[in-house]
Amino acid sequence: MEKLKKKIGSLSFWNWVIASIIFRLILIYFPKNLNLSSRPEVSTPLTSFRRLAEGYWLKQSSMSPYAGSMFHGSPLLLSLLGPLTVKRIEGQPNHLLYSLVSVIADLVSAMLIRATGQNLQFAYLRTLGSLDLVKQIEGSELRSSGDVAALIYLCNPFTIVACVGLSTSPIENMAVILCLYGACSRLIPLAAFGWVIATHLSLYPAILIIPVIFLLGCGPDAPPRKLFLQRHQQKGVLNESKLPPGFTWRPIIHFAFWTLVWSVYLLVLCGISLKQFGGLWEMFKSTYGFILTVEDLSPNIGVLWYFFAEVFEFFRNFFLIVFHVNILFIILPLAIRLHHRPCYLAFVYITICSMLKSHPSVGDSALYLGLLGWFVNELSDMQFSLFLFCGYVGVSLLSPVMHNLWIWRGTGNANFYFATAMVYACLQIVLVVEGVSAMLNHDRKLRHLITGKLHEAKS
Amino acid sequence: MAEPKEKSHNDQKPKPRVRPIVRLGIFLVSHSFLVSVVCCTSGVLALFLLPVLAKNTYISENALMPGSASPMLSNQHVLDGNRLVKDLTNSNLKSSETGIESHKIIAQYMLDLGAEVSFHKFHPQMNQFHPLHFFSSPDSGKIQENYSCSSYGINTVGIIRAPRGDGKEAIVLVTPYNALKSGFGEALSLGIAYSVFSLLTQVTWLAKDIIWLVADSQFGEYAAVSAWLREYQTPKFSSLSTLNSEMCPDINNLFEIKVHSVAGSKFSNSFRRAGTMAAALVLKVRDQGEQFEDTISIYAEASNGQMPNLDLINVVNYLAVHRQGLRVNVEKLRSLLNSSWLKSLGEIFESLAKVAKTLNPKCKFGIPATEYVEGTATLASSLYYQALGVPTGPHGAFRDYQVDAITLEISPKFSLDKVWRNDILLRGGRLIEGVIRSVNNLLEKFHQSFFLYLLTSPSKFVSVGVYMIAFALLIAPLPMVAASLYVDANSSSNFLKGDSSTPSAITDAAEHGITIRSWKWLNSAKLVFIVHLWGAIVSLLPYFICQIPDCSPMTSFVIWVLLSILSLLILNSVLASPLACVKASQEKEWALVKSVTISSMFIGLGLMSVINFATAEIGALLMVPMCLLAQPLKLDLRAGTLRSCCRIICNLVLGHIAFPPAAFFLLKGMLEGFGSANVGDFWMWVESLWAWNSATYLFIGLLRSGSNPLMIESIQVPLMDRVGACE
Repeated sequence: MEKLKKKIGSLSFWNWVIASIIFRLILIYFPKNLNLSSRPEVSTPLTSFRRLAEGYWLKQSSMSPYAGSMFHGSPLLLSLLGPLTVKRIEGQPNHLLYSLVSVIADLVSAMLIRATGQNLQFAYLRTLGSLDLVKQIEGSELRSSGDVAALIYLCNPFTIVACVGLSTSPIENMAVILCLYGACSRLIPLAAFGWVIATHLSLYPAILIIPVIFLLGCGPDAPPRKLFLQRHQQKGVLNESKLPPGFTWRPIIHFAFWTLVWSVYLLVLCGISLKQFGGLWEMFKSTYGFILTVEDLSPNIGVLWYFFAEVFEFFRNFFLIVFHVNILFIILPLAIRLHHRPCYLAFVYITICSMLKSHPSVGDSALYLGLLGWFVNELSDMQFSLFLFCGYVGVSLLSPVMHNLWIWRGTGNANFYFATAMVYACLQIVLVVEGVSAMLNHDRKLRHLITGKLHEAKS
Repeated sequence: MAEPKEKSHNDQKPKPRVRPIVRLGIFLVSHSFLVSVVCCTSGVLALFLLPVLAKNTYISENALMPGSASPMLSNQHVLDGNRLVKDLTNSNLKSSETGIESHKIIAQYMLDLGAEVSFHKFHPQMNQFHPLHFFSSPDSGKIQENYSCSSYGINTVGIIRAPRGDGKEAIVLVTPYNALKSGFGEALSLGIAYSVFSLLTQVTWLAKDIIWLVADSQFGEYAAVSAWLREYQTPKFSSLSTLNSEMCPDINNLFEIKVHSVAGSKFSNSFRRAGTMAAALVLKVRDQGEQFEDTISIYAEASNGQMPNLDLINVVNYLAVHRQGLRVNVEKLRSLLNSSWLKSLGEIFESLAKVAKTLNPKCKFGIPATEYVEGTATLASSLYYQALGVPTGPHGAFRDYQVDAITLEISPKFSLDKVWRNDILLRGGRLIEGVIRSVNNLLEKFHQSFFLYLLTSPSKFVSVGVYMIAFALLIAPLPMVAASLYVDANSSSNFLKGDSSTPSAITDAAEHGITIRSWKWLNSAKLVFIVHLWGAIVSLLPYFICQIPDCSPMTSFVIWVLLSILSLLILNSVLASPLACVKASQEKEWALVKSVTISSMFIGLGLMSVINFATAEIGALLMVPMCLLAQPLKLDLRAGTLRSCCRIICNLVLGHIAFPPAAFFLLKGMLEGFGSANVGDFWMWVESLWAWNSATYLFIGLLRSGSNPLMIESIQVPLMDRVGACE
């Protein structure tokens, strides 16, 4: 009976996967009407397809792809995806091949999310088992968090829009997920590869190195040792085998080694492809430099463009530092508080980055909303879930309307659009705060259960 | 056993101190019924207060300086204009077969003034429904393939290059003219435009080019103007247009004759352009006049409730009233003018104002009752036309390209003697001249004054900051009621569980919250989403239905209804019958559905208020009471008290009124009498709405259907009961 139920569940899972892919393909066939690739919410200067095509064209005519401040992506993307921007199939939509690549990237990401989710859930159950808490959850049904997360990622309108809107964020997201997957399933070279590629493509995933180290060092789900000790003290016998493994340095050294290998490899490849055009320095200046100095003030769903359009020129450097340090400030406290749940830590980091990064797009939100699905069981008591949901729906509808008022009708102004960006940022803040507090509550609950049992045992 | 544990928990977790703002929120949510009643009534009241709160208009842009220069239009120009009118009416009497004659005459007159002249040939575009074009850019540079040579219109365009300008900016003057059956009014409007045009060729102060567009209105005024604008704003580089002109010999003929007769002049065959448009004026003269005085009506509403900048209306109003002595008029709902309840309401406000004045002499609040009635009638029509989203004249085409434009319709005191005609030519011409001179002074495009406003009279307006308050009050109960329902549903679910199970089970369930408690609304969200999806499908259906050739409105409507029901059934079966799986018999489930629906309604109304305020306001007036009152019929029937009976009646009445066809017939019946109502009419109305890409249509389709879960639920419950009884 249980098995049958599971089978039906997985069947409907695959149905949904196929449906979402078919939906993407349908949308790809009428891109003219949708015009998604020119929306500021979908394509930023870093992820825009048109800029990629421009960069490829510049490179083909033996100019530097970074000439004219059009293209700001990686040179490897140019070599891999560039040819797809010009290749056409007779009678088919213009960028069919490129869109197919993004669809495949989405599918792969979803599968990796699913595998990682299953991994996480397995680890979670094992922890509960070693704490003798399995009995409590037998009555209540546990959702398969991997399936949920994968479906959220695939069916999320944000993901679909980013995929159909021809932005490069599906590929960036795939790199991030690859890194997390590798770290969760202890494939160290893969994790290093994912981390290096993700950092290379969009810089911000660099801070994921902390959760990755925790993942490799103590495994995907490691409640404090204190809990185990408490638990086993009252039993009298300290079962060593049930204790979670402590922090081990070996995999981390492996990881460092592989990171070094992959980065050298990557830099050499980039160097080769940019040999005539100013070399690596040029690349760093117009990718990382572009991200960090917020040169392009074209509107997007972030908050930095408006701020730096308003700020006086001589304060600019100061505020640049302030805004970027903002992200760095948050790293340490969160790492201390959430170190026993590295994947959740990664989720929080990604959310904060997508809130504070200089050129955010809906592709970033697609990523963290998908990862949120991993913790569907732990976050079941999250407050304001309906409020957050309505907020996301409202903002994602309001943003194009405000843009239309500002740009096309001329009745609104930049403040209208920026207001939605602020609301969006607030929503993300609420999501992070509520999510973290729900997770801490969950941990507290586990501890109470244990101490409660202690009382029971004593009396 | 449980006792000490409970105690220890209480010790560990003292009740957290609640912050004042949270406490306020909790207070509002817990008293949501009272709050919503108060908010709704005050919202409606604030709507009726708007005419009282209207402010006087003022000219915000200093550069405009209306009326600072004395008008230069002299009798000589008027005589010129008169000559054109005479020629046109004569040529009409001669009755040329296609009206080409009169276009030739106009072009000849323009050429004689030294203007650049060109003809613009256009094919009337079929009004097509493009469901995805609501938010895209206005340039849908579509090229129609199937032209027919038989139906085309010719716009005559004359351009004066400004002696002081750099050719970067232009002012457009439009006179619709139907060469085939022109009334005297149209000829007169051409005469006014010509007299201004002839003046403007001589003046030295002109800094912006002047474009005079004689729009061929045989396919409607809007079609001609929008075709010309499309050509002007989106140059075509395809060879299709030239190819077409080769295919149609008689048009070529016209051009050849033209070129032949005026060789060496500034006539050109190609499309001529000037700079970007600063403003546009559409000039019309009505055939039947008013009885008492010369009046001028201003029409400003463009598509989707967009309005031109208020400064443009201010300038026209100022010049017409203070310089030319014309009475200015904006559209009113005539039926409201005689309504007694409005009059008494106005008197109440007036007496209130008097009381306020005795208390505080500085208080400048309140207007006379008659003025109040007129203001309300104007406001109502302003709301109505904005809500409809259909432009009230050819000026609507300009707004799609961000050009401020209004239509001026002069309705003269009618008599046919020559003195009177000269008088109208002189005054109308001077008004146009003054407006053009003001706009000519502009350094930037209109931006100083309001874009979002409602007019209560030509010189009074309600700005966005004021009318939004009424709307906000009206929809404020929605989130509060949604929150209170949500909280109720969540807490009651816990409570129920506690009742049913043993104490130890409670603690376990409460302690170990692995049950997906706070995500229970997802099911209701699914239901609401599916109904919205259904709404989207229903609103897209007409696009396919209108592809069916030879369909009378009646049959199309029937097909539409049938297909809608069919699609609902299909959706229901494909998506695992969500309508049935939500067992609405449980009250908390119903509360969740209602909560989610209300929040989606809140989002929708808020969104619509940004796109088109008037639609949102009218929609809110209809929907908010319905959403708040909706309740499953079964529960009410079971209760059987007087209050629940009232609620049932309210529900049924509101549910039917808010159903779009019903609302349409009711409105039509009120305005024209019930005898003429017909099902086909609704189809025609809908067709006209989507022909204009009106967002109102999408709004009706999506949002109205959004409230359907409530209806479906409330009807479904008794049905399911009956089914259960049968089994």
